[in-house]
Amino acid sequence: MLFFRSEERVREWCAARGYPMRPLVTMDQLWTLATTWYSTRLQENSRRPQPDEMRSIFTRLGLGGDFWDPQSDSFG
Amino acid sequence: MSLDTQTKLAIYRHFAETGQRPSVEVVAERVRSDVSSVREAFLTLRAQRVLVLEPDGVSIRMAPPFSGVPTQHVVIVDDTKYFANCAWDSFGIPAALHRPAQIHSRCAQSGEQLNLEIGLEGPPSCSWLFHCLVPAARWWDDIVFT
Repeated sequence: MLFFRSEERVREWCAARGYPMRPLVTMDQLWTLATTWYSTRLQENSRRPQPDEMRSIFTRLGLGGDFWDPQSDSFG
Repeated sequence: MSLDTQTKLAIYRHFAETGQRPSVEVVAERVRSDVSSVREAFLTLRAQRVLVLEPDGVSIRMAPPFSGVPTQHVVIVDDTKYFANCAWDSFGIPAALHRPAQIHSRCAQSGEQLNLEIGLEGPPSCSWLFHCLVPAARWWDDIVFT
């Protein structure tokens, strides 16, 4: 999970390693993910999101499809 | 409160206060328990994916969003320096602490420096991007690689 200056830099990074390019996430989307995941982390009753909650969080942000599905079996 | 929960909170509070991972002995002292019981709590928290431990089974590699070891993702909150496990977690530290932060990282391809001021409402307008190689369903197959 890395930062990149631009889409072109992501493309170069993936090509150099033979990796597929994945959906790109903006800084605003990343902030929403971070606050959703971690804003209660230091509290007694904090817990990690369950798979259905994760799917809902990603979908709300426009991050849908098998790649963001925590229970997808498409990646063997 | 269960010892597992007390242990989790003690670990996170230590990270929040110091930016460093606590030893099992320090956590035992904070929760007023014995080292053996706290070591067991570490293993329970690992099984719950709350912690990632080093191969020795007691040193904390990750208590997300905090990293127990130095990384390329540095977060400064007030006068405390933290290491994040990944780009996502570098935003997660100010989110967890509810404090403004400075993020220092870099473009994984070009090495260009990223220096970002995060406010309580999030980052300023910024064209940088986040890329995750591993599908969500496989993140915990090798969370350090992810």
